[in-house]
Amino acid sequence: MIETLKDHFLNPRNVGEADEPRFTGRAGSFVCGAAARLSVQLDESHNVTEARFKAAGCEVLIASLSILTERVRGKTTTDAALMGQHPETLAVELSVEKDKVHCVQLACDALVAAICEYSDVARNEWIGEEALICTCFFVSEQTIEREIRDKGLTTVSEVTRACNAGGGCGSCQPLIVELLEASWD
Amino acid sequence: MIYLDNNATTAVAPEVYEAMQPYLSKYFGNPSSPHALGRHMKHAVEDARIEVASLIGAADPKEIVFTSCGSESDNWAIRGVLATRPDKKHVVTTLVEHEAVRNVCHQLEKEGYDVTWLGVDGNGELDLEELRNALRADTALVSIMLANNETGVLFPMREIGHIVRERSGAVFHVDGVQAVGKVPIELKSCNVDLFALSGHKLHAPQGVGALYVRSGVELPSFILGGKQEEGRRAGTLAVPNIVGLGAACSLARIDGDHTLIESLRNQLEDGILEGISNAHLNGIADRTKRLPNTSSISFEHVDGQSILAHLDDKGICVSTGSACHSSSHTASPTLKAMNVPYSMAQGSIRFSVGRYNTEEEIETTLDVLPKIISKLVEMSPTAK
Ligand code: FES
Repeated sequence: MIETLKDHFLNPRNVGEADEPRFTGRAGSFVCGAAARLSVQLDESHNVTEARFKAAGCEVLIASLSILTERVRGKTTTDAALMGQHPETLAVELSVEKDKVHCVQLACDALVAAICEYSDVARNEWIGEEALICTCFFVSEQTIEREIRDKGLTTVSEVTRACNAGGGCGSCQPLIVELLEASWD
Repeated sequence: MIYLDNNATTAVAPEVYEAMQPYLSKYFGNPSSPHALGRHMKHAVEDARIEVASLIGAADPKEIVFTSCGSESDNWAIRGVLATRPDKKHVVTTLVEHEAVRNVCHQLEKEGYDVTWLGVDGNGELDLEELRNALRADTALVSIMLANNETGVLFPMREIGHIVRERSGAVFHVDGVQAVGKVPIELKSCNVDLFALSGHKLHAPQGVGALYVRSGVELPSFILGGKQEEGRRAGTLAVPNIVGLGAACSLARIDGDHTLIESLRNQLEDGILEGISNAHLNGIADRTKRLPNTSSISFEHVDGQSILAHLDDKGICVSTGSACHSSSHTASPTLKAMNVPYSMAQGSIRFSVGRYNTEEEIETTLDVLPKIISKLVEMSPTAK
């Protein structure tokens, strides 16, 4: 076990629950029975001011959560989501064994889920002229529709490549799917 | 280091080490050789055979065949019996066997055998009525362990043997690996046909085991080759290990009384159950029905792997689930069979005491553990 990992497991940082108002993400595994909960608090400009976690699981899960909660502080929700989308980067950095990568993944899933919760709320509360679809990359419904139409896009990943929408926490992906389906009619 | 993982393996006893040494230096011969050195080796092996036979109460030392480990003994027993009875396609075993039996039986199912898996109740005990009903005319083999490696729960080998004999023509194999050296065993007065044991569980080195084959039970060779072990198991005998196993059996017989180990285990178990509110014992509370050295305890809302890692950091060795498999995360089949709820099975730790543990070590453990558990409970997303 590398020192960073051991240190974060034995002395986990940021255990607990972020202060209200907070956005919470959960993740669990049927493989190993582990469970994780990660909550974040944001300031007005969508930067993470605080991130905390609770978990029951192995050393790798707990250390990953401890590290992630430290790193996302001060980051925008988009950057936090992108960090959560790349468990393999953290797994390599911590040199975890292959069969423990899913524990890093679980920690990242909890982080992404917390950002998704925020995105869903922000989208619903959005009061702009154009409906907001992707809060991570601030992409409106009209922009996405135009990209789909003009470029003949057919999949979510094509949309993401064209305008970033869907490339952060992923909470808007079902909405992008709906726009894609609507364009076929 | 505080070693509380004696069901995984044990330290080689100094007496065992001493007995083995000459066989790792000046006595290096092959026991099959007819010269003086070879004869000396042969004598050493036969002395060890007598020691093993008397520890497990065999009627005749000839009933002991040396193998490389407990798993080989189990594999040989099961496969050997079935090879002699090609017409019988039914096997009875339990859901809580060690992998060395369980995985062979899973394989048998794939090969077309009908396997009856006997369940256990919440205490980890068998229902003997279920066994009675499971026996059939075409039952070739019954394979049931003596002591469970995880919970230490003992199965009534004598009664089971009686039922098997009375109700069927099946051969009765017992995986005794976890019990030998911990509880008195007298095979000659039980209806046991085959009985597997392993040296490293009782302070002999790793790499040696034995299979008891009751006189008259036919069992074809598993490993083919030379005529060693009267043609029953080919391969040059691992004399130093066998001498070690003999010395370990003699040690276990002389110190047959396990009151010290048992009192340490009780001190630990009582201390944990009384001092930690989310601790629950797995297996029957009646200590006469469990091995004297084992406590399997679940800590609700907490993950066993993290408890293990924290204890490890403090120099305390335990295991979670089954020691050989703390890297495969699925909940233990034994606890699953006992219907231990998932939230508890995840946090199960096996403490297994041994002859070299001391009261101070137990006290240290009882001092360290509650702090670890409360830290983890505080961190748990499911705990209130
Ligand atoms: S809302 Fe996060 S990726 Fe679109």
